[in-house]
Amino acid sequence: MQRRTLLTGAAGAMLLSALPATTLRAFAQTSQGVITFGQSTAVLTLDPAHGAFTGYPGGYEAALVLFDRLLDFDADMTIVPQLAESYRMSDDLKSCELKLRTGVTFHDGTPCDAAAVKFNIERMMNKEINTTNRPLWDPISGVDMVDDTTIVIRMSAPFAQLPNTLAHGSGAIVSPAAIEKFGEDSFAQNPVGAGPYRLDSFNAGQELVLKAYDGYWGGAPGATGIVFRFIAEPATRINALTTGAVDVIDAVPVHLVGQLSGNADIEIARRPGLRPIGLAFNLTRPALQDVKVRKALNLAVPVATIAERVFFGFAKAPDSPLAFDAIGHRTVGETVFDQAKAKALLAEAGYSAGADGILEKDGEKLSLSFFAPDGLFPGDVAVAEIVAASLRQVGVDAAINKIEKGAYWDHLRQDKANLAWDMAMFGFNPSNASGTYHLASLFKSNADDNGKPDVWNIARYRNEKVDTLLETASSAPEESARLDALGEAQALIWEDAPYLWLQINENVSAAGKSVSGLGVLPIVFTTLRNASKA
Amino acid sequence: MFRFLVKRFAMIPLVVLGVVTILFIIFKSVPGDEAAFVAGATATQEEIEAVRIRLGLDRPLAEQYLKHLAGLAVGDFGYSTTFRGNPLPHIVDRLPATVALTVSAIILTIVAGIPAGIVAAAFRNRWPDYLISFTVVGLLAVPNFWLGMLLIAFLSVNLGLLPSFGASGPASLVIPTLALAARLIALVARMTRGVVIEELRKDYVRTARAKGLSHDGVLRGHVLRNVMIPTVTVIGLQTGYLLGGSVVIERLCAWPGIGDLLLTAVSVRDYTLVQAIALIFVVSFLVINIAVEIIYRFVNPRLRYA
Repeated sequence: MQRRTLLTGAAGAMLLSALPATTLRAFAQTSQGVITFGQSTAVLTLDPAHGAFTGYPGGYEAALVLFDRLLDFDADMTIVPQLAESYRMSDDLKSCELKLRTGVTFHDGTPCDAAAVKFNIERMMNKEINTTNRPLWDPISGVDMVDDTTIVIRMSAPFAQLPNTLAHGSGAIVSPAAIEKFGEDSFAQNPVGAGPYRLDSFNAGQELVLKAYDGYWGGAPGATGIVFRFIAEPATRINALTTGAVDVIDAVPVHLVGQLSGNADIEIARRPGLRPIGLAFNLTRPALQDVKVRKALNLAVPVATIAERVFFGFAKAPDSPLAFDAIGHRTVGETVFDQAKAKALLAEAGYSAGADGILEKDGEKLSLSFFAPDGLFPGDVAVAEIVAASLRQVGVDAAINKIEKGAYWDHLRQDKANLAWDMAMFGFNPSNASGTYHLASLFKSNADDNGKPDVWNIARYRNEKVDTLLETASSAPEESARLDALGEAQALIWEDAPYLWLQINENVSAAGKSVSGLGVLPIVFTTLRNASKA
Repeated sequence: MFRFLVKRFAMIPLVVLGVVTILFIIFKSVPGDEAAFVAGATATQEEIEAVRIRLGLDRPLAEQYLKHLAGLAVGDFGYSTTFRGNPLPHIVDRLPATVALTVSAIILTIVAGIPAGIVAAAFRNRWPDYLISFTVVGLLAVPNFWLGMLLIAFLSVNLGLLPSFGASGPASLVIPTLALAARLIALVARMTRGVVIEELRKDYVRTARAKGLSHDGVLRGHVLRNVMIPTVTVIGLQTGYLLGGSVVIERLCAWPGIGDLLLTAVSVRDYTLVQAIALIFVVSFLVINIAVEIIYRFVNPRLRYA
């Protein structure tokens, strides 16, 4: 035998032996008792301060099992106790007394007591340390320790949403000893909390491995560990679930759900989100200041059909400016598709068809500059095209201007002189689930409509009645009075139509049958807090 | 040879300085306010300004540029919002995965592409040639991410032979390598076939045959050596393409390399990290080009005396 032939043969044999057939099937199995979660976004940082948990929502999903908070949301977005056994808001809504659970320890063994909680809240109040989620934390003015298990949080003004802030992801309670040990800059890579799972290893952007925490106050969690694995590509996530390499995946694109729904080993979990998508009208434009025009534009677009056809039924038409699961949501209307009525309203507003079929009034064409991002909201470009075509059918010219994702927010939050759009696609996700927070962010009058919007009132909506109602909704002592005010505000805003209301998308996740207790929260998050694995 | 190497390596700092400058200009002119991204969507103007000062983004551009250069000189790429500091250790951590993928794709290209081209040429216009040429056209036409999806669906989902994603042992390398190398294998096979056919027509081949050497003997002893020169060129040039392709394939297969990290950095607007990875891609490209030139000198003796 020639030397060369021999060498080739040996090399071939080595290659083959590198893949022993017996181990092949084993690649596609996750370990027993450990839940592997294939996430669409990477977990990068795990600190409630310094920019909060990133990437969104992946970082928050990990934080939900790694950290405990004083309060929690249950599956229906109702606020329930967690590290606090009970809480009581004062009648003037300017302070809140919390009774803490006793005997709770962080993963590093240090006690999670009133001093630790005080440290955490003061840390989140500090603008230098906590740069994000400011509207949630700014109202707090101080924390007092009454005894080892009681604290009082003080607010500078009535703030009914304090429990929502404490239940929000950024209310995660971290170990003060760990902050001391790792420093403010490195804690995000070495997180220590008091949640049911503790850190085992963390490779930011790739893999986060958590182990059940033996000392958890609530007893042993449902799994012996959770592995968060970043798999960006939807098709790859689905394949990983199908082969059993992961147990849970999130963000299943609606057009790919079909691949999974036929599989008896896989269960789909779906839930409408908290983010209603819509087109903000630029109310500084004379044509759009006429409520008849705004209502006509709303009537011209088949929202229910968009939900049904573009999103395969994994979206719903809205019935309020708030999403269905936002706290304080009330049904105040419905989306109607009636182009004849739209045309009649536009005629009433003084518009008549010009030579090219586009409506005009006093020689001014009803031509709207329509901004939409590419890939920021689900199906944004497809929806924008349907909207533009529908508006065209009633004689309104809407020129789509597709904007790169990264620059989109800057275009929306301009001062009046630099507003280039008449309609812009927008959706706000109230991460603390509060309807009051949502409406105040979008519809409370700006201090100055010529400058940049204070929060997200990019439409420059201005209604004194709504302002008063929102004030009541956040400061009335009676909960029922707050909810009534919020309901009334929703009705007024819906009638004023500062937006062209579009769909509310569902969040879709999927899990293998061996996993139970998977939760999909309306705030985008897929939570494994109560999940267990057979 | 020594002088050549000195000259080539002396060029590197100059080119890198140029690239750093161009990247700096590009990232300063990208739309979107970096400070606003870091501060988050709900930040007020004052909070954005505070972040701007903290990151030094309020300083004159020239000062920022010089600070950037001074940082790079000591291996500090700046403040990455993702890693809350210098991203270099995290990039270095990811580098081996990308190198492994690129190197295995090149090895596969050499062991599959060159023999396929030679076989096709040797059996010109007979069935092995048709089979290979047909496959080559197919592989050139298929986009690598789609081929990757097919491979995952077939090898991993249907047959259960290989992991569908990630880096859990050598078997994980198979699908991304195949997907990444496919186009390059086809390119090299097609080119090798063409060059072999051309060489076989040359006078020296006829002379060798006339002197009594066998067809195979001529092929092995004379033709292949000449075929190596253009082949090395193509593989060298295409290694740059592999780096670019690895971004897509790494994402598809959730392969933990720097291409995947680049896309993550883009999605969270971590300008520092994007800039650092772009720089590392450029420097790798330079180093690969120099390596190709060195290999030339081994393959083609004429260049050694030029």
